[in-house]
Amino acid sequence: MTDTTSRQAVRNGAAVSIAGLRKHYGEVRAVDGVNLVIAPGEVVALLGPNGAGKSTTVDMLLGLSKPDAGDITVFGQTPRQAVSAGSIGAMLQTGALLEDATVAETVGLFAALHHRPLPLAEALERAGIADLADRRSTKLSGGQKQRVRFALALVSDPDLMVLDEPTVAMDVETRRQFWRSMRHFTDSGRTVLFATHYLEEAQEFADRVVLMRSGRIVADGSVAEVRAMVSGRTLRAIVSGATEGTLANLAGVRAVELRGEQAVLTCDDSDLAVRALLHTFPQARDIEINAVGLEDAFLALTSEGAQS
Amino acid sequence: MNVKYLALEIKRVVRNPRFLIFTVGLPVVFYFLFSSINAQGNDADRVRVVVMVGMAAFGGLTAAVSSGTRIAVERGAGWQRQLRLTPMSGGAYLVTKALVGMIVGLGPLLLVCLIGGLTGVHLTAAEWLQVTAGTWIGLLPLAILGVLVGQLATPDSVQAIGSGVFLLLSMFGGLWFPPAAMPSWLANIAHVVPSFWYGGIGRGVVFHDLNVGTTVLVLGAWTVGLAALAARRFRADTARV
Repeated sequence: MTDTTSRQAVRNGAAVSIAGLRKHYGEVRAVDGVNLVIAPGEVVALLGPNGAGKSTTVDMLLGLSKPDAGDITVFGQTPRQAVSAGSIGAMLQTGALLEDATVAETVGLFAALHHRPLPLAEALERAGIADLADRRSTKLSGGQKQRVRFALALVSDPDLMVLDEPTVAMDVETRRQFWRSMRHFTDSGRTVLFATHYLEEAQEFADRVVLMRSGRIVADGSVAEVRAMVSGRTLRAIVSGATEGTLANLAGVRAVELRGEQAVLTCDDSDLAVRALLHTFPQARDIEINAVGLEDAFLALTSEGAQS
Repeated sequence: MNVKYLALEIKRVVRNPRFLIFTVGLPVVFYFLFSSINAQGNDADRVRVVVMVGMAAFGGLTAAVSSGTRIAVERGAGWQRQLRLTPMSGGAYLVTKALVGMIVGLGPLLLVCLIGGLTGVHLTAAEWLQVTAGTWIGLLPLAILGVLVGQLATPDSVQAIGSGVFLLLSMFGGLWFPPAAMPSWLANIAHVVPSFWYGGIGRGVVFHDLNVGTTVLVLGAWTVGLAALAARRFRADTARV
């Protein structure tokens, strides 16, 4: 069945098609049955706690490691074929730079190894490192190194960009600059898959969010859809004289967190809960009701006890 | 095979000051040292040639092996993974690395010969060709050995392992002292070591004992064997990550 799905995806011109992907390291099931189809032009954020299988999935997508089972195609080709054709650009988490080469030499080497590269000056310009061209990589800051890695990913002029924790060593301004150049990249209809720990980056930049936990995908959809998967809202209020027990017994309340007089109620039905709260504690004040944020959804969906 | 990659790799090796001191400077210093100590009396001219061909081979060997061992550092840092995201094949990578060893090995080899020529070594054109081009061709299995060590060692251990390899190879190869001066146990072991046959190419101009057929056979076998091991090791290493 997965076979037909992936063939279908290729016929439909999917950028990435992953079907039944598995990878074990001894007893550890790093990737345990992942199915994912990404259409050209989509910007997809891959989220999940450490050890969720994001990097392992990315490695297999890039042809750096072999799946134990399952199929991966990138624009209808195997990962290695796609890399050889220059269709995939990737920024690895552990991608080192040559210590004894300059930025221009390093990026120029990648340009020389690819068949249809961007002009070197353009790649440096787009990554925002034109002024660092003659700098040795030992003389670069963490954020500057990340931008050099971005230039290495960019220089083959790829249709799919895969980024593993791209902004991890960047300060706020560099990060903003980085995403600006990424927007420039996606504006031309190209596909991006990025793994990140920063939920606000996913929220701001991704069309679609894929959440992984224990080697599986536990949620997949737009940011709004993923948020909606975790039903309910949060109700905050100052309530004097309440105990966790009495609050938990209110109608519509699923979970309670009480710090002094500050109560945070996670509600299945916040309308019911607020009525019940005011009925029992008429003096309750500063009431706030919010939809669950992506961060709450992330925690709810990826925590150990969560249902998949 | 990508010429630009080859050029950058050579540039990187040559840029390293430690490389220049140990692989270019040391053989030259040793040449002056050993020839001034040993080249005296009637036999002085002959001894000077022996020292020159030995140190030329030593310089080529050290440069080739230590350039290959740099792979360990690239592997450890993840640069090799980065390169696997380009169209370059693993085979092309390994061939380039071995070729870099060959090319940087040529420098000290020729330099020692040049200095030898300027300080009283007289050889015929054919003999010079044998010492330079012949020795250089014989360097191939040792350049591949450097690549293999780079593929096996960790960044922490590679310095020690690499030095150990070229010191032992130089000793067993008779590059510091000719095989005639070796104790018999050493001479016996030396015959299976590739550097013995590699060094023998240059020594042949003095001792006239070069057996071309055997030399080609032994060094050829080492080349094929070491290349197969390096390729296998590369495949195993890249499958693991």
